[in-house]
Amino acid sequence: FFPQTVTENFANVIHGLNASHLTDLVIQRSKRMILDTLGVGLLGTSTEVFHKVIQYSKIYHSDASSTVWGHSDFRLPPLYAAFVNGVAVHSMDFDDTWHPATHPSGAVLPALLALSEVLPQKQKFSGLDLLLAFNVGIEVQGRLMCFSNEASYVPKRFHPPSVVGTIGSAAATAKLLALDQFKCKAALAVAASYAGAPMANAATQTKPLHIGNAARHGLEATCLTSLGLQGNKQILDMESGLGAFYTDYNPRFLPTLQSYSWLLDQQDVAIKRFPAHLGTHWVADAASSLRKYLVESDDSVPFSRIKRIVVKVPDVRYVNRPFPNSEHEARHSFQFAACTALLDGSISIQSFSDQNISRPELKELLSKTKLEHPADNKPSFDNLYCEVNVTLQDGKVFSERCDTFYGHWRKPLSTEDLKKKFHSNASSVLSVEATEGIIETVDNLEKVEDCFVLSAFLKGTQSTKVLSKMCLP
Amino acid sequence: MHAHAHTQIWETVTSSFASFIHGVRPEHLSEVVRHRSKRMILDSIGVGLVGSTTRVFNIALRYCQLYASNAVSSVYGRKGLKLSPTLAAFTNGIAAHSMDFDDTWHPATHPSGAVLPALLAASQMLPPSSKPDGLDFLLAFNVGIEVQGRLMRFSTEAHNIPKRFHPPSVVGTMGSAAATAKLLSLNETQCAHALAIAASLAGAPMANAATQAKPLHIGNATRLGLEAALLAARGMEASPLILDDIPGCSGFSAFYGEYQPKPLPLPANSHEFLLEKQDVAFKRFPAHLGMHWIVDAAMSARNLLINYSGSFSPSLIRAILLRIPVSKYINRPFPESEHQARHSFQFNACTALLDGEVGLNSFTDGCIHRRELMELLAKVLVEHPEDNLANFDKMYGEVALVLENGDVLTGRCDTFYGHWRKPLSRESLLKKFRSNASHVLPEDKVNSIIMTVENLENLPDSSQLASSLRFFPQKD
Repeated sequence: FFPQTVTENFANVIHGLNASHLTDLVIQRSKRMILDTLGVGLLGTSTEVFHKVIQYSKIYHSDASSTVWGHSDFRLPPLYAAFVNGVAVHSMDFDDTWHPATHPSGAVLPALLALSEVLPQKQKFSGLDLLLAFNVGIEVQGRLMCFSNEASYVPKRFHPPSVVGTIGSAAATAKLLALDQFKCKAALAVAASYAGAPMANAATQTKPLHIGNAARHGLEATCLTSLGLQGNKQILDMESGLGAFYTDYNPRFLPTLQSYSWLLDQQDVAIKRFPAHLGTHWVADAASSLRKYLVESDDSVPFSRIKRIVVKVPDVRYVNRPFPNSEHEARHSFQFAACTALLDGSISIQSFSDQNISRPELKELLSKTKLEHPADNKPSFDNLYCEVNVTLQDGKVFSERCDTFYGHWRKPLSTEDLKKKFHSNASSVLSVEATEGIIETVDNLEKVEDCFVLSAFLKGTQSTKVLSKMCLP
Repeated sequence: MHAHAHTQIWETVTSSFASFIHGVRPEHLSEVVRHRSKRMILDSIGVGLVGSTTRVFNIALRYCQLYASNAVSSVYGRKGLKLSPTLAAFTNGIAAHSMDFDDTWHPATHPSGAVLPALLAASQMLPPSSKPDGLDFLLAFNVGIEVQGRLMRFSTEAHNIPKRFHPPSVVGTMGSAAATAKLLSLNETQCAHALAIAASLAGAPMANAATQAKPLHIGNATRLGLEAALLAARGMEASPLILDDIPGCSGFSAFYGEYQPKPLPLPANSHEFLLEKQDVAFKRFPAHLGMHWIVDAAMSARNLLINYSGSFSPSLIRAILLRIPVSKYINRPFPESEHQARHSFQFNACTALLDGEVGLNSFTDGCIHRRELMELLAKVLVEHPEDNLANFDKMYGEVALVLENGDVLTGRCDTFYGHWRKPLSRESLLKKFRSNASHVLPEDKVNSIIMTVENLENLPDSSQLASSLRFFPQKD
């Protein structure tokens, strides 16, 4: 049997993949992604953008309900739960990044968890079901990005999570609901009509909504499809279909199910160490390394002795901000990253507070900073590098270069550091028990009989009764 | 207080739009614009009401009922059912476009369905003390139409029948955001943010046209534009340069190949709305606008054949030549579903030849698969004359019947009745409305809606319009 269209092929694969197809490496990597995503999401529930979307979504408070991460005081309809939790995940730009570039997990996990809570009583979803559906959502995103050369570079037109993330969410939720091939195809088609948000809203408060909406709309597409809605059966094949979002578009078939090879097996994600655009991670590592040449005995940097700072990075307009005015702009500024890392030695969640953004010493350094774009520095997360040169008033020059930051797929975070990041994030809104509970649940996800426990922990229930429901063998 | 007397130079296109939305007043609406926009409102309601009987509407409604809480907004034709404002807008927008029966403008989009449902829903969510009156409503409606028209002029690609993104999903979402921002009296900054948030919710590919999912494009445009305004009202911020051209980081330009944004003139003392110079087309039957030319041409050819041979006898026809512009998504030799049939030159030409007209029932499964129709479809050949441009202002339709004996009878249509060059009379528009609305509403309700819309400027509480659209069965 040879599928006639790429769209049909995708539907068949989404439908036909099962747990036995998951390799150990894929399981391991995807569990790390799940843990990290939950952590950044929990932390994100403390942001202003999250509060605004909560206020908005509460208008639609109803009986059918799913967990809002970090909130035991109210629930939301699954669509809005997926929306707000997705917004939380991307609210600080702290979530995972893949190559080709997108933020894969935030578009998928919130939709799956929200959906898993509203299915009929009899239907239980095991951890393995969740893991499989999650990977279907990730895989579809990765495969779609291979349809276009433009996708290998840091984006200029459409924000990738809004394009492939929406389709990924539809695929993942269709998988969880075990829709047949025809409905899987329709879910992809309907989702395409929701996809696409322009890059201009990156570095603004609206950017997190791109992930929130990807999760929500993919889920909606699946729900409409399961009620019988149909779309174009060749949505992935046509230039006027998903091709509308790209200037070059070459859709390709997925590998055969006989021996399925997952993209996550060959290409891991990057996990961020601080909440800012991935490009700033190279800058931070280079600048922090360089700092050791400058510090005095009291560990301070005599910033007035600095004459000039040159940061060599690829030409990425939306991260080129000499004087960021808001936390969102600061998270998308090579200059800000360099100066903060030089001043403080590292970048953290606190670096983006209003106070820190407007520090006079930072502003002074920023005024001495300029960017350069060497021709060999390509705007691709697989190839870019950063070099920081600092010239002192007395003429001395110091230089450091970073090719691969710690957390990048070539130098992944250790398990300890991943858990440490999660701990730090989750404990801002959850109890120690819930935090530990999530770590343990995700660590053993394949063996969890009913993934409702995950949602229970995410809510912020402190009861130890929940721990005993974990149903581990 | 602003000094309106002088013109100002805006720093950005985006801020000029925000100022327009915020600053325009009812006094700026000319007679022609009022008149034309009320016709659009009436037609839109009518097609929405008949659309509430469709399958796609039913799916959407069942879906939305899962989230029924905070139900304050009415749904076309459904008594006792209210939904949250954005979901009511969603379902009503889907109803409006469910049969491709709604208005079309030039440059091409379906302007009213993307704006009216959001306004109806929003009018019901405001507290009694601040309910907008009919004039406010009419103004907000026109803001939504105007913004769409202005945005489409940012790109020459928009003048032709679309190929990539379905225009209602692009400009419609922005129009809905603008209209709602106006109705809710957002300040200038909030108006700008509403537009920018809406841009992140815009854009659906053309491939879903001619499928059951197409109506969602209008449903989502009106819903998500409303959502963008509601988010902006709550303080959500987005790019202040969303409409401007920023090389290397696309805003609204992401949806177009070439993009030249222009600032809107400040209302000041007079603002000329695009609707003044460029009216919409209203459809006479529920199919893509392009079909209307070919149907008029086919009916003309059919009459020639009847005069020629005394009756319409398909067996006399050897071939049917259709001379149409190039547009892949409306060129379908053998459509299989109602959605495809509404987007098929061939189907509409043959139906008109066979039946002498095209109407609601032409698109039922029974009619789509008729043997006589299939036989005619098999005789169709398509030609794309170079002078027949894929543009609703310039195209024409020609149907040439090549008879077995070699004679050729040709019907041609340059401007169909209902096109902006030959607008529907008031009688015809009301006839269409009555026919549509009576599918779900009793006669007295139908008449009262007509009166309400015709006197919209004098309505003290515009939410009455929304509540009048529900069905009141006599048994109660």
